[in-house]
Amino acid sequence: MESASVAVGQAEPHEHHGPPEAHQSSRIDRQTLGILLFIVTEAMLFGAFFASYFFLRVVSNEGPWPPEGFELPVAVAGVNTAILISSSFTVHWALEATRKGNRRGMQMGLMTTWLLGSTFLFIQINEYIHIGFSGRDGAFGSIFYGLTGLHGAHVLVGLLLLSFANIRAWRGHFGPKAKDHLGVEVPGIYWHFVDVMWIIVFTVVYIL
Amino acid sequence: MAVAIKQPGLARGALGFIVGSAFGFGLVVALRAISGLEIFQTEQTGYPHLVVPAITGPLGFLVGLGAFDYWFRWAAGRPTIPEDHSQHGAKSWRDYFKFNTDHKVIGIQYIVTTFFFFLVGGLIAMLIRAELAQPGTQIVDPGVYNGLFSTHAAIMIFVFVIPVFAGIANYVLPLMIGAPDMAFPRLNALSFWMLPIAGILFLSSFLVPGGAFDAGWTGYAPLSTGAPLGQSFFNLGVQFAGASSVATALNFLVTIVTMRAPGMTFWRMPLLVWANLSTSLLVVAATPFIAGVQFMVLFDRVLHTNFFQAAFGGDVLSYQHIFWFYSHPAVYIMMLPGFGIISEVISTHARKPIFGYRLMALALIGIVVLSYTVWAHHMFVSGMFAWLRVPMMITTLLIAVPTGIKIFSWLATLFNSVLHLRSTAMLFALGFVTTFTIGGISGVMLGMVPIDIHVSDTYFIVAHIHFVLFGGSVFTIFAGIYHWFPKMTGRMYDEKLGRVHFYLTLVGMLGTFIPMHWVGMEGMPRRVADYAAQFGDWNLMISISSFLLGIAQLVFLYNMIVSWKWGPRATANPWRAKTIEWQVSSPPPIFNFDEIPRVVGGPYEFGVPGARHAIMGGEEAEVRKPEPAVVGAAGGGGGGSPGERGGP
Amino acid sequence: MLALTVVGSVVLVQFDWFGDAASEEAPPIDTLFDVMVVLSTFVFSIVMVMFGYAIWKFRARPGDESDGAPIHGNTKLEIAWTVIPTIIVLFGAGYSWIVLDDIEARADDAMPLKVTAQQFKWTFEYPEADGLRSDELHVPVDRQLDVQLEALDVVHSFWVPEWRIKRDLVPAGEGGDEIDDEFVVTPNEEGTFSLVCTELCGLGHTTMRATVVVESQEEFDQWLDDQAQAEAGAGGGSSAAGGT
Ligand code: HEM
Ligand SMILES: [Cu+2]
Ligand SMILES: [Cu+2]
Repeated sequence: MESASVAVGQAEPHEHHGPPEAHQSSRIDRQTLGILLFIVTEAMLFGAFFASYFFLRVVSNEGPWPPEGFELPVAVAGVNTAILISSSFTVHWALEATRKGNRRGMQMGLMTTWLLGSTFLFIQINEYIHIGFSGRDGAFGSIFYGLTGLHGAHVLVGLLLLSFANIRAWRGHFGPKAKDHLGVEVPGIYWHFVDVMWIIVFTVVYIL
Repeated sequence: MAVAIKQPGLARGALGFIVGSAFGFGLVVALRAISGLEIFQTEQTGYPHLVVPAITGPLGFLVGLGAFDYWFRWAAGRPTIPEDHSQHGAKSWRDYFKFNTDHKVIGIQYIVTTFFFFLVGGLIAMLIRAELAQPGTQIVDPGVYNGLFSTHAAIMIFVFVIPVFAGIANYVLPLMIGAPDMAFPRLNALSFWMLPIAGILFLSSFLVPGGAFDAGWTGYAPLSTGAPLGQSFFNLGVQFAGASSVATALNFLVTIVTMRAPGMTFWRMPLLVWANLSTSLLVVAATPFIAGVQFMVLFDRVLHTNFFQAAFGGDVLSYQHIFWFYSHPAVYIMMLPGFGIISEVISTHARKPIFGYRLMALALIGIVVLSYTVWAHHMFVSGMFAWLRVPMMITTLLIAVPTGIKIFSWLATLFNSVLHLRSTAMLFALGFVTTFTIGGISGVMLGMVPIDIHVSDTYFIVAHIHFVLFGGSVFTIFAGIYHWFPKMTGRMYDEKLGRVHFYLTLVGMLGTFIPMHWVGMEGMPRRVADYAAQFGDWNLMISISSFLLGIAQLVFLYNMIVSWKWGPRATANPWRAKTIEWQVSSPPPIFNFDEIPRVVGGPYEFGVPGARHAIMGGEEAEVRKPEPAVVGAAGGGGGGSPGERGGP
Repeated sequence: MLALTVVGSVVLVQFDWFGDAASEEAPPIDTLFDVMVVLSTFVFSIVMVMFGYAIWKFRARPGDESDGAPIHGNTKLEIAWTVIPTIIVLFGAGYSWIVLDDIEARADDAMPLKVTAQQFKWTFEYPEADGLRSDELHVPVDRQLDVQLEALDVVHSFWVPEWRIKRDLVPAGEGGDEIDDEFVVTPNEEGTFSLVCTELCGLGHTTMRATVVVESQEEFDQWLDDQAQAEAGAGGGSSAAGGT
């Protein structure tokens, strides 16, 4: 953060002809509104797959669900759920620490979140390997991999964003001022979304 | 050359494309080799070694182009480079071929690219009509024919109509609301560059084994899940076009919410801004549905999942439900921005405030809400749940009400006006009101289940969609292009040629699409390469009119190109409009404003003595002095000068 | 305006928009359409007359650079053009609903008929005639058909323009009852018609037609007999479609 602001500061004296500062016409800042809208889009993408799920399970499926011969490792997935949920708390902790100017806390929080997220993904992939059916096995296989895979892809994107936040945190960026910690806050919001989405996916796919 | 490769730009983009494709290809080969599969799988739905590079190649191109340079730096936590604005604004035509973050440059990039695709799509249409001029098979065989109408529609919808509106709004919307740029300029540039990728994917499907995708723009499963390789290119093209339009919509929403000039309350926003706000709401929440469903088709094709394979528990109709849950809103995505353009054009050239401004804005919101509740009117005969038909019929017919409100309000705006027909933009606006009314009426008929049972999937539908898409959307696009041409290029176009273009287009359009209603009602189905001899005469007439329509567009092209280069200089405000974009020079200064304007009144206060919409920066002091005359009445001045203020 | 509506409507309802009608379902649909034509002519002539009048009356005289009257709206008018169209379309919805119920009403003596579509061929099966199959559709006049649809590969659509009825044939899985694959129609004109596939189904979609013959009960029975004999004679080969 320091280095960044210095660089900007140096550029200023050169004749700087730039755009006028935009008028801020709403209380919400751009980045936060942007990520919220992006989450709406993402939620609708899940919506498309849930719609498919509804048709496959409720409309055109006759027998039991999951169909005979399919079994889901609910317990493992449950533990995995707990792991992912706890990462929501750690990312929150990281943000709080950033707000208070607690650099160590921010770094630890982000790091723990990242590790928890990776563990989740690792267990998920492991589950795929041992689950005993593939996306080609009936409609159940397709939608199971469709929903959990879509979610997995989101975890991956979330981890990528968190990696950036981690790198920046370790390289001394971010600060307590609201506009200096958007880089923690925005991935954090996204991460919360990934968690909430998992709770829904887990409930629908594994429990219902 | 070596230098060119290091700099972000097309050369590095090409390299990125090659590297990306090679990576994707290698990945497939390696993975298949490891899993002991045949390395090249060439079932027609397979070809992973071509499908994966069709994803990674374009991504490599974007990286090479420089779309992610800034973000990479940011992610790596390196010190931010001070914003030197080197990617902002265009100094020569070459800058239009670069990754540029200036909304004005992006707007032009969008418009030129989409019009290129309009021409390509139009040429394909000419081929279609040539084949249909006579019964029997003359030019193309039925297989190729299926590819032609599918690519025609996909190109027109996904890489012309939807994005050209994003292009027009990109240019004028930030100016209109007094913002220096869009909220996320780099995302904006990225949105644009995904667009040519989508178009090229659609077109390159002509080159792959099995030919272009041929399951229609609707790509119904399971026809699409079993179709040749080209279909995968459709699936992917839709993803790029969809991502592009979601990113732009998000950008518009954030820009409109957070970057309006001081004093610009929601009820002081020009209707074009309202229209793009509503459109963006539709895009953000509906487009993911088509993304999702095309992913499912792709999975069914390449990974052999069973989303739509009835024999393995899949559900065929779920494709149509999910598809139309996007694609009905999509038809309004293609119309609402046009409504906005028409409001601007009509009020300016009729010199009157828009009649019932608030109801106009509310009607837009009403359409957005209702749009999500009518998708199954495309499925009245599909064999879906029978009980869903009547509720969907009621909502469908109700959506005609807000649509009607808009027509009536424009009509009322014309009363007691001072109506100028000298601008081609106004001609297209008035032409639009007529043709769109017809399209709306046929829409209401289609909304009635018993009528739809008869005419669904016939040429009546083709007539309806072209009355609303050509007579509707395309007319508004022309109106918008003519209206803002002076602003965008700093030149005036030739009104005489404009009028020729308008009348030829109108006659060609009516001649082409009116008879389609009749042949459809009498029994000619859509999407056929041949038809019963009894429809021969009408089809010949349709084809001849359509060639006229095609020729008319050449007039437009000529007018635009020549005027852009050699047209007389435009003043800042040739139409004496009130909205902010007209108060800056033509073309606008590189950063739009020196100082953000202050909005003090509604956008269309024509004829209200002393009323103003906005006070431009630096003008404050002058305004206090007694004004010599009603502002704006003296016509635009200070055109070519760099004076950011424009106007008198 | 009214005159225009009246003249327009009177002229326009003279046409047989939908072509010849040959089923009992056709007249109510055609009448609904005629009503819509009249209503549409009314709405369209209002819009066009106002439009033409405004352009003629308020056109700027050369050199007139003044502004129009600063009218911002009129609440009563705006309410009117919200409410009146709402009433009109709700009327249309109610009327359509009635027609829909009417054309889908089932008779007791309906003749079952199975229609199977595959790329690019139609097959008709007569359960009442021991599952006799044919690739030409023969039906008796004035008897309701209870049509049961099946698609073997992709989506197709059954349409005989003169009957006005159309329905997609959708591939279904084991369960299958989620698809509305049954409809009724009552041909009431003898003659030869064409069955058209109206849902894009691939390369042969354009030519996916079948001949439809509507004939008297006697002729129909005769035809059934002939078919049955031919089938027996040829060992169930020639005219029987390969179906599944
Ligand atoms: C008054 C408002 C409208 C109503 C009530 C309406 C109603 C309908 C209905 C019921 C259909 C389905 C017909 C069928 O497939 O059997 C349809 C098709 C269609 N409409 Fe509209 N429509 C309206 C306005 C629009 C507008 C504004 C657009 C686009 C700018 C549009 C574009 C389309 C397209 C593209 C299709 C055909 C899709 C396809 O099957 O390929 N419509 N409309
Ligand atoms: Cu629709
Ligand atoms: Cu077909």
